[in-house]
Amino acid sequence: MNSLLHSLQTAISLILGRDPDVFSAVSTSLSVAVWSVVYASLFGVPAGMAIGLADFPMKRVVIVLLNTLLALPTVVIGLLVYGFLSRQGPLGGLGILFSPKAIIIGQAILATPIVASYTLSAVRGADIRILPTALTLGATRLQGMLQLVREIRFGVAAAVIAAFGRAISEVGIAMMLGGNIRGYTRTMTTAIALETSKGEFAFGLALGIILMAVALGVNLVLQAVQESRHV
Amino acid sequence: MNSQFTLMGVRKYYGERLALDIDYLEISQRQLHIVTGANGSGKSTLLNVLAFLMRVEAGELQFDGKRVEWNGEGLQRLRMRVTLLHQSPYLFAGTVDYNLAYGLRLRGYDGHIIASRVSESLATVGLDGFGSRNVKHLSGGERRRVALARALALRPEVVLLDEPLANVDRATTRELERVIASLPDAGTTVVLSTHHVHQTEHLEGSIIALEEGRLDTANCRS
Repeated sequence: MNSLLHSLQTAISLILGRDPDVFSAVSTSLSVAVWSVVYASLFGVPAGMAIGLADFPMKRVVIVLLNTLLALPTVVIGLLVYGFLSRQGPLGGLGILFSPKAIIIGQAILATPIVASYTLSAVRGADIRILPTALTLGATRLQGMLQLVREIRFGVAAAVIAAFGRAISEVGIAMMLGGNIRGYTRTMTTAIALETSKGEFAFGLALGIILMAVALGVNLVLQAVQESRHV
Repeated sequence: MNSQFTLMGVRKYYGERLALDIDYLEISQRQLHIVTGANGSGKSTLLNVLAFLMRVEAGELQFDGKRVEWNGEGLQRLRMRVTLLHQSPYLFAGTVDYNLAYGLRLRGYDGHIIASRVSESLATVGLDGFGSRNVKHLSGGERRRVALARALALRPEVVLLDEPLANVDRATTRELERVIASLPDAGTTVVLSTHHVHQTEHLEGSIIALEEGRLDTANCRS
């Protein structure tokens, strides 16, 4: 209990003291998580819609695979992307290993199945009359799909929130592809891992409290946006 | 009387089951047509085919004297001319105005035309002043009327109504009958389905009787 109180005090003093390392880690965590979720949504939402709406052979297999990808360990993603981005890898020429871009790629791979799976669930739970109604009012198939997204927007928002939560809280990808470089690729989670390994338990826990506070703040903003558009 | 739809050897299957099997049927323009038959007789399937929402597996469908090609762009153009009102119509989340303006926006109308059409259509179905209401606060009868107004706002050549008078109160029934009866005079072809002919006793029109997907010619009336 004392240690928790001490961590809380440390967290508050870190925030009030505007510790540059903490602010850098928060900023890096937020920016890589936001960009990875943006890319994941660009692929995941259409993929979830397509799988939900289309009838094709092996659809069940694709859904099982998608659900399996939800359990993909972050270190495995980190390892695979590392293989591609390392100097000997096929994309080594890009020179982006140990940069925020590499973390974004890894986290986008992590978040895409989450967005796709939640979107798929939303599409499956959507009213089957939405698409025919849009079509009979003169929509093209694409316009009908966009209307469907509008109608299931709370499900899609849940997908984005879940993916953001997963991206901002993971450590394996950020560590392997970012390299935990202070002031550049150090995220909240890699900083926590580092501080804890140094025996700075209270400091690590304080960073954890800040991470939770940041996640809470982002979710409150998303919730407020959802409710303001809930017409 | 010109033909709005002509069906020749049209067949539609659900899996192995033959849901619609019509050798020949002409549906004339600017008239009211009442499709009758028991549940499962193919009424909804016929309406979905006429709305170009359901592709037929065999035969030919003509619209306005031209063969319907079941490809994307052509179908979408045809769907702009025909509107189907489902038995239990779906209203998009949002206001009544949003719903009525949806199809008009797709057609590229500008704001003041949309506003005028929306208010005119609401007046037609007796829902003046409902534009700003959220659809989740409407009663069942009001939802039906909003859906009808949404279809009418588009001024389609054909309005297809799937069981519009089922499960509605007497006041809504009278209101819907009044609107539906006025449509042919305004130049709109109306095809309406019902499983109880008595539900449409106040409406005058030709009868298309269906039984197990086929025309029940003994009970058809032109």
